[in-house]
Amino acid sequence: MKNNRHHGFSVIVFSYALVILAHLTIGSSCAFSQENRPIINSTLRGRVLDAKTQEPLIGVTVQIKGTTHASSTNNNGEFNFITGQKFPYTLVLSYIGYEKKEVVAEGSPIEIFLKEASNELKEIVVVGYGIQTRRDLIGSIAKVNPAETKNIPTGGFDAQLQGKITGVQISSNTGVPGETANIRVRGATSINADTDPLYVIDGVFINNNSLQTISTGGKASSPIADINPADIASIEVLKDASATALYGSRGANGVILITTKRGNFNQKPKISFNTTQGFARAEKLWDLASGPEHAQLVNEWHVNTGGSFATRPFRPVSEGGRGLPEEQQTYDRLGEVFRTAQLQNYDLALTGGSANTRYYIGGGYTNQESILSPIDFSRASFKVNLDQRINNNVQLSISNTFSRTLRNQARAGDGPQGGLLQAALHTPTYLSPYNEQGVLVGRAGFDNVTLLLENYDVNSVSLRYIGNLNADFVLLPGLKLRSSVGVDYNNYDESEYWNTFLLLGAQGGLATSAIGQFTTLLNEQTLSYRKSFNDKHTLNFLLGNTLQLDQLTRTSAEGRGFANNSFKVISSASSSTSSETWNKSTLASFFGKVDYNFDGKYLIDASLRADGSSRFGASNRWGYFPSVGAAWRIKQENFLQDVDFISELKLRTSYGTVGNQNGIGYFAALGLWSGSSPYQGSAGISPQQLSNPDLKWEKTTQLNLGLDLGILNDRLNFEFNLYRKYTTDGLLQLTLPGTTGFSNYWSNVAEISNRGFEFSLNSRNISKKNFTWSTSFNVSRNINKVEKLQNPLRYGSRDLIMHKEGYPLYSFWVYKQLYIDPQTGNAVYEDVNKDGKITVDDRQLHGSIWPKFFGGLTNNFTFKEFDLNVFAAFQYGNKIYNHNKFFGEGGGARDAARVIFASNLDRWQKPGDVTDVPKSDGVNVNNYRDGGSRWLEDGSFLRIRSASIGYTLPKNLTQKARVEGLRLFVTGSNLLTFTRYSGLDPESASSSAQNEQGIDLGTPPQPRTIQFGVDLTL
Amino acid sequence: MTNPIKYILAIAFVISFSSCEKFLEVEPRASVSDEVTIYDKGSAESALHGVYNGLADAGYYGMSFQSIGYLNGDNIQWTGSQSQIQEFINHKVNPENATISTAWVAIYRTINRANNVIAKVPEVVDPLLTETAKKQILGEAYFVRALAYFDLARTWGGVPIVTKPTKTPADNIGITRSTIEQVYNQVLADLDQAETLLPLPGNIAVGGSDRYRANRKTAFALKARYYLYRNDWTKAEEYADKIVADNGNYRLLKPFNSFFANDARGTQESVFELFYNGTTEQNTHKNQWLPQNLGGTRQWAPNNAFVALVTDPVTSGGRSTLVAKDNQNRWYGTLYYRPTPSDPSYIIRTAELYLIRAEAKAQQFDANPAKLAEAIADLNAVRDRAGLAPTSAVTKEQVLSAIENERRLEFAYEPHRWFDLVRTGRAKQVLNITEDFRLVMPIPAEQLLADRALEQTLGYK
Repeated sequence: MKNNRHHGFSVIVFSYALVILAHLTIGSSCAFSQENRPIINSTLRGRVLDAKTQEPLIGVTVQIKGTTHASSTNNNGEFNFITGQKFPYTLVLSYIGYEKKEVVAEGSPIEIFLKEASNELKEIVVVGYGIQTRRDLIGSIAKVNPAETKNIPTGGFDAQLQGKITGVQISSNTGVPGETANIRVRGATSINADTDPLYVIDGVFINNNSLQTISTGGKASSPIADINPADIASIEVLKDASATALYGSRGANGVILITTKRGNFNQKPKISFNTTQGFARAEKLWDLASGPEHAQLVNEWHVNTGGSFATRPFRPVSEGGRGLPEEQQTYDRLGEVFRTAQLQNYDLALTGGSANTRYYIGGGYTNQESILSPIDFSRASFKVNLDQRINNNVQLSISNTFSRTLRNQARAGDGPQGGLLQAALHTPTYLSPYNEQGVLVGRAGFDNVTLLLENYDVNSVSLRYIGNLNADFVLLPGLKLRSSVGVDYNNYDESEYWNTFLLLGAQGGLATSAIGQFTTLLNEQTLSYRKSFNDKHTLNFLLGNTLQLDQLTRTSAEGRGFANNSFKVISSASSSTSSETWNKSTLASFFGKVDYNFDGKYLIDASLRADGSSRFGASNRWGYFPSVGAAWRIKQENFLQDVDFISELKLRTSYGTVGNQNGIGYFAALGLWSGSSPYQGSAGISPQQLSNPDLKWEKTTQLNLGLDLGILNDRLNFEFNLYRKYTTDGLLQLTLPGTTGFSNYWSNVAEISNRGFEFSLNSRNISKKNFTWSTSFNVSRNINKVEKLQNPLRYGSRDLIMHKEGYPLYSFWVYKQLYIDPQTGNAVYEDVNKDGKITVDDRQLHGSIWPKFFGGLTNNFTFKEFDLNVFAAFQYGNKIYNHNKFFGEGGGARDAARVIFASNLDRWQKPGDVTDVPKSDGVNVNNYRDGGSRWLEDGSFLRIRSASIGYTLPKNLTQKARVEGLRLFVTGSNLLTFTRYSGLDPESASSSAQNEQGIDLGTPPQPRTIQFGVDLTL
Repeated sequence: MTNPIKYILAIAFVISFSSCEKFLEVEPRASVSDEVTIYDKGSAESALHGVYNGLADAGYYGMSFQSIGYLNGDNIQWTGSQSQIQEFINHKVNPENATISTAWVAIYRTINRANNVIAKVPEVVDPLLTETAKKQILGEAYFVRALAYFDLARTWGGVPIVTKPTKTPADNIGITRSTIEQVYNQVLADLDQAETLLPLPGNIAVGGSDRYRANRKTAFALKARYYLYRNDWTKAEEYADKIVADNGNYRLLKPFNSFFANDARGTQESVFELFYNGTTEQNTHKNQWLPQNLGGTRQWAPNNAFVALVTDPVTSGGRSTLVAKDNQNRWYGTLYYRPTPSDPSYIIRTAELYLIRAEAKAQQFDANPAKLAEAIADLNAVRDRAGLAPTSAVTKEQVLSAIENERRLEFAYEPHRWFDLVRTGRAKQVLNITEDFRLVMPIPAEQLLADRALEQTLGYK
């Protein structure tokens, strides 16, 4: 209790400090108005405009040089001074994203033009609760232009970013559009809490945890896919502590800031229309043994295992067998489920603005079929962003995203019943889809593919609204208050119907329905103050608070036993059940940041966030997350002023602590008894969870060292970062001895480290009038290690994945196959404990899902009206467990129960054969044992992720038709893949189950796509 | 201009601070804090339902524990691809085996639920909760705890004994394994308590009078089985007699399948079976047994040897109804079959009491040769119910062997075969096991890691 009070107290002190500061600043403005009237020597009225567009610039700081007297421009770009200074005097104008300018004012009025900063250093970067120029950045922040990737047909923008950002490893979960992608910003820091970054859209913390409850076998729909990538203006990824500490308890996995498109003031209405139409196909499919080959291998197994030749399964029908191997048919089921998928996308947007109003209205529709029938994904979205200036000091901004996402889903992943890929891939090829009566039947425990395709009925509808309202007040020059209210609402409605033709519905049909609702409500106040003095010092202050409430509720029902297949609603089922879940959590935060810039040479910043969460124990409810950072722009020093070829040289460092709480139970710290332990239809109660009042945040401390180098007037830009992240108090569901009556409880015990480097290079190789060529290249390395974990944890099918102290997370736990003995044909495994037997004690950790390095290479060319963009992503040194192949290489043991892959035909057959596939026999149980390293493969790849070629019609041609711009293009994705991985797609080996990564089972590959498109601007 | 803003600012901040701590207090709705649990008649009864719910869990009698008892035997084959199930069929179970780990956790979870009832119900002050009702509730909790320790003992041998509820993560950790004797003593102590506290079937105070919960007779039946396992033949006979003699309540029903077929449940055959309503309480056992065209996976199927035995009219009779053929001509087990997952789990059946009494009597042959005829009579009662002719067994050994074979068929998919062979010392011979230590299951590897005080059974180390 005492401890609790202490924490509460410090928060109150902190918050009072905020209030007092607010009062002081407001108070001082009152004092200002009561000041004695000064002597007036001149009155200056002026206007600041963009040199290129001639549009007024708002919020430009205008200072009289040599004084502290400053003003900022209003909505019309106007400013005025009533001053004791006499003309002429010098004005210093500074505006973010524009070149600084000094102008001598000789009289009133005056009109001043500012030039937009052209090079990359002056690029504006969105940071936590503000914007900065790249020049002034201390933290490690990557900016992505979504225009380059928005045509990659993945559904969500997250998967599109693969290979584009240093330090961010992205693997698409599957080839199914709109399913979750795995995003790791500088490695993974947690076992039982989330490892996904925090997503913030226009200031709203949005939900990225799938609301899907239907099992699609380790795959899940992505809430990120509810957002239309075409509405996004920029994406920033915050990586180091200086950048993320302002997000406190949720910053440990990095933060992805999404800024959506807005209009411009005084801009003529502009209509832009974009469409792409295309198709997708699998690059390749599995190579399966034919019916005769299958039969032959089964016979071989039978005989080698000690069965007599006379009783081999594939012997003449007359002898009671299934017919000789050569008499077997081969049935193709893969061809039945894989198709050439159609893709279409339409985006229409209207932007513009008057003097005080600006708007962006965007509508989009996309429909993407999966290459796997009958899956498809479609999304209709509508976006309205409005900004209204009330007066010179007050502006209201509203952002709204509405979307409706429909998914026709099928279980592509694990699980025998209803499993589409299992039915198509894992059923032996010799088995006819018909039984003796000519009726379609499922084989080998799987559904019949044809019946499955005809009767699949699994659908979901996601309705999403993300919106916020900001009110910005300029209280004094440089002092701004922003108050905002934000909402993320998601209604996720899903249903399944399995009729009697399908295994799941075999007994009278099965229907399920679930409606999940996730709501985030957010209220936020920030107060920012910017002050420059003596021409050399700039100070920025930021103070703020946030209140956030998350609520997740779900009502679901299940019905069994329908009169016939025409009745599909649960109310017509003979037996039904329903259930409801209710979860809520709250988060209260206070934060502040100071940054100081001396002469554009030395930059330092410091921030602190305090977060209080309802999820944690009473004694550790509040967490504090500080950071400090510094940068030195060496180029600005005198000794580099004359070194012309260096245009920028900057050293950066930051250190700080961020937290993680996502992914743990809503009531993880409480001791609970559950009310759902009924017996004989009467309610029952039972202990459910032990309390842990000490439960607290997972903490990640991060050190970052960075170097930025610009050469030849920034034609070449290098960025290099070194980092080390160390996570303590890792949230873990610690196994309790069974004798306690509980299996686990939430505790803070694990420690995990991530360290690595990131390197990126941007180069404008050629920039001639008619021909330009630019290149960006990035490469990153992350070394992940479990530093402290009492007991190893096993995950995934057959315990293939293990977390163990001293090894990376997601290491593979396997029997290491050394070779196939050419004399006996038996697999020889490493006998780790040298006891002469291969037992579970000989399983060892052998590689992990982490690549040694990964990155991307982009080349952009323009030649007259043509443009060409080629983007390749690569990854090197990671392992994948080819679990499909394990099933397909049973050596004949699984006979009629499982398919045989063509690769199994390379088995050892006679002494002297050199192969890595052992003899087909069941005598030596080790030959085909699960968990063997034979199926653990190198997952390195280089992939032409996208390439597009476009042609923009000449202006003189289009303008006659009153068209501002017209571009025609063709774009392709996943055009070529270079890999040694024998599965279909080296990227599709991740799962929606956080700890089961790196296993390739039942995953449709990412398709190769070609799309044709038009960009039209009116 | 500044004034309203000042207000907004001040109000926004003050509101957020003053209500901050309150804002951060969120109580769940689906659960209650563990401080207010068992405090009146209603909560005492629902806590007892929670105990039975633990017993009926998929990790315990809902599937995993049951499967240890029969997969380890010689009737079942595994058709799936996961090796952990095959370990039972091969009688080489590894400490990493998932099923034994699940069962261990589920059994101790049930014990903790029972311990909560045993510790808290005596303290409840509620005029509605009569002394009689209190005694019955406690008696049932003692019975379930006795059964749980009995199952632990016969599966793992000596295990840690826990008799107090777990309130913090530090409770009930670091308890070393007791000897098998001590565990059996605990079983007996709990059964004695249950016997004293529980009412007879006609005098139930709370809950319905049925076969889905324990009464004094149920305790007698478990005692009979307990003494059989302890080779205390006279006591085994004495307690088995209390059920067999109660012909009004407990009877062998004809034909054999009338205790399970055609959606039967709670028949007079049953001394104790677990109830599943098929919706909020599901027995998912059938998923393993039914073939795919009936909505299951048929991962567990009768093996060829068993099919031969059970379809042989001479040895099996009506028990051939335990198997059927699917649409692909494959045999599958039929005990767990209901479309809504509501198959009962059978814990003690009247047939078992007959066979316990038969075995106990036959074992007393040396002291009292007259008992052998009585043993044969009991055995024949079970055979007769299956539609078979009287046994041809004559000598003590023949009779004991006939009882063993009878039990194999009679309880094919109930957790007996393995335990019977171990109990009678026949497992090594019948199942071709060479190493003694394999006659008990290894302590789950995860448990050894979680609690350093636990020691692995010799041989598995």
